[in-house]
Amino acid sequence: MDNEICKVIQNKELTKGKGIYEMVLQSEKIADAAMPGQFIHIRINAGYYPLLRRPISIHSVDKTKGTVSVIYHIKGQGTEELSRVKTDTAMDVMGPLGNGFPLLGNKKCAVVGGGIGTAPLLELAKNLSECDAYLGFRDCVYKIEAFEESCKSVHIATEDGSVGYKGYIIELLEQNIADYEVVYTCGPKVMMKCVVDICRKNKVECYVSIEERMGCGIGACLVCACKVQEENGEWHYKKACKDGPVFHAKEVVFDA
Amino acid sequence: MLNMEVKIGSLKLKNPIMTASGTYGFGKEYGEYYDLSKLGAVVVKGLTLKPREGNKTPRIAETPAGILNSVGLQNPGVDAFLEQDLPYLRTYDTAVIANIAGNTVEEYCEMAEKLGSQVDAIELNISCPNVKEGGVAFGTKCDSVYSITKSVKQHCRVPLIVKLSPNVRDIVEIALAAEEAGADCLSLINTLLGMAIDINCRKPILANVVGGLSGPAVKPVAVRMVYQVAKEVKIPVIGMGGISSWQDAVEFIIAGADAVAIGTYNFVNPKAPVEVLEGVLGYMEKNHYQMLSDFKGKVVL
Repeated sequence: MDNEICKVIQNKELTKGKGIYEMVLQSEKIADAAMPGQFIHIRINAGYYPLLRRPISIHSVDKTKGTVSVIYHIKGQGTEELSRVKTDTAMDVMGPLGNGFPLLGNKKCAVVGGGIGTAPLLELAKNLSECDAYLGFRDCVYKIEAFEESCKSVHIATEDGSVGYKGYIIELLEQNIADYEVVYTCGPKVMMKCVVDICRKNKVECYVSIEERMGCGIGACLVCACKVQEENGEWHYKKACKDGPVFHAKEVVFDA
Repeated sequence: MLNMEVKIGSLKLKNPIMTASGTYGFGKEYGEYYDLSKLGAVVVKGLTLKPREGNKTPRIAETPAGILNSVGLQNPGVDAFLEQDLPYLRTYDTAVIANIAGNTVEEYCEMAEKLGSQVDAIELNISCPNVKEGGVAFGTKCDSVYSITKSVKQHCRVPLIVKLSPNVRDIVEIALAAEEAGADCLSLINTLLGMAIDINCRKPILANVVGGLSGPAVKPVAVRMVYQVAKEVKIPVIGMGGISSWQDAVEFIIAGADAVAIGTYNFVNPKAPVEVLEGVLGYMEKNHYQMLSDFKGKVVL
């Protein structure tokens, strides 16, 4: 395997002043190999600060154009610097990495995302024949049109009520849960925990994409450990980067 | 043809480029990026007698030009390593060095017995800052370094490398104690104890509160310690701490290192060890050096 040197096709803010950006990178190799739910590991600059790469979920892939897009939220120095990268810059990218979502396209599916966690669900929705989207945001929404193009119906909730239902997206999911056989979720831990509970109560299969601070991104450094439960109730650590980031809901322990 | 060979006790390495324990798993992940046979040696993740789950997360914090980690020796245990991980590494033409950590001297000895001569050398980890028992507790006092080295040496059928902690008052004193006890080689440095705090919630970033600092930030400390130790001991020294380029590797060799290990930078550039090797070769060619000893330890004062 090799790192890819990818040209930045576009890097722009999606929300006025809220710090949510979309970066589109040119890489036929990554676009070709990418599966929904996988991530790419981006080196911010050639220097030593920030030292580590930034793992970011793949938002959308265009296999004909050979492009990959990611959505990120400015949270610290790394993403801050990433947001200032100009078009045509050559970025050092590893990937696609990790295990994505299993594609159960013959079942009735819903994708349930919160905030920046909605991002990886678009590529998933594009690869499912029949899928509804449940997208929750705090106070600003983004990429809704893209979901509308790929989903049968799109449900939106915002905490401030500025767009769609005023409240949490899990409330909308709970009303319609009987319509689904599989739910895929990505977002804040509290939200995913609720989604998993709703699915368990209604005997709906559920997959979650989890987030941990990562180092190497390929399974060697063991910093992105996440608790995984066995059938017998015992738990042990698995690697979010290599065994995940997507896990079956029955495996995941939300205690941290 | 340049001669890059290095001797560690009875073990001959084809070149001085190694990987640092804890940054490289058991090699499999990096085997997808290059041929591990290019390396002088692979030093595997720290092993314990029984499997260990390690510390709670977050286990990593990024700091200027470095990282803090508190993985806490998560590993499958020495038996599982021998059964499941060693066979993969043995498909490559590279030396395999097992890093071992224990709670008691007896545990270290038992692991050395179990490993026997199935690995090419053993690195004694008495410098891990992330576990409560053992680890660094053995590595910060001369008498405990001496006695653990001496005990394990009696059970060790391959060259014994003692990995030193930088969290000590006088690194030379510790190095001499290990040498006197029969160590065949020293490796330094392990991580420096550090801490980072999230100013918004006033909580430490690491779940373990403190962790080990590594990466380019620690390099000058490591170079200084390698320089001080290499001058005083007769056994070979493996230098590590922030090596991120061939220039860094050359700097360690000039400071007195017989071999060097790449650690944290594997996370940034998975092919770093191979690129370092090529760069060191280029440096030797350019300067018409035939072997490492032509510039090893040759600091001009």
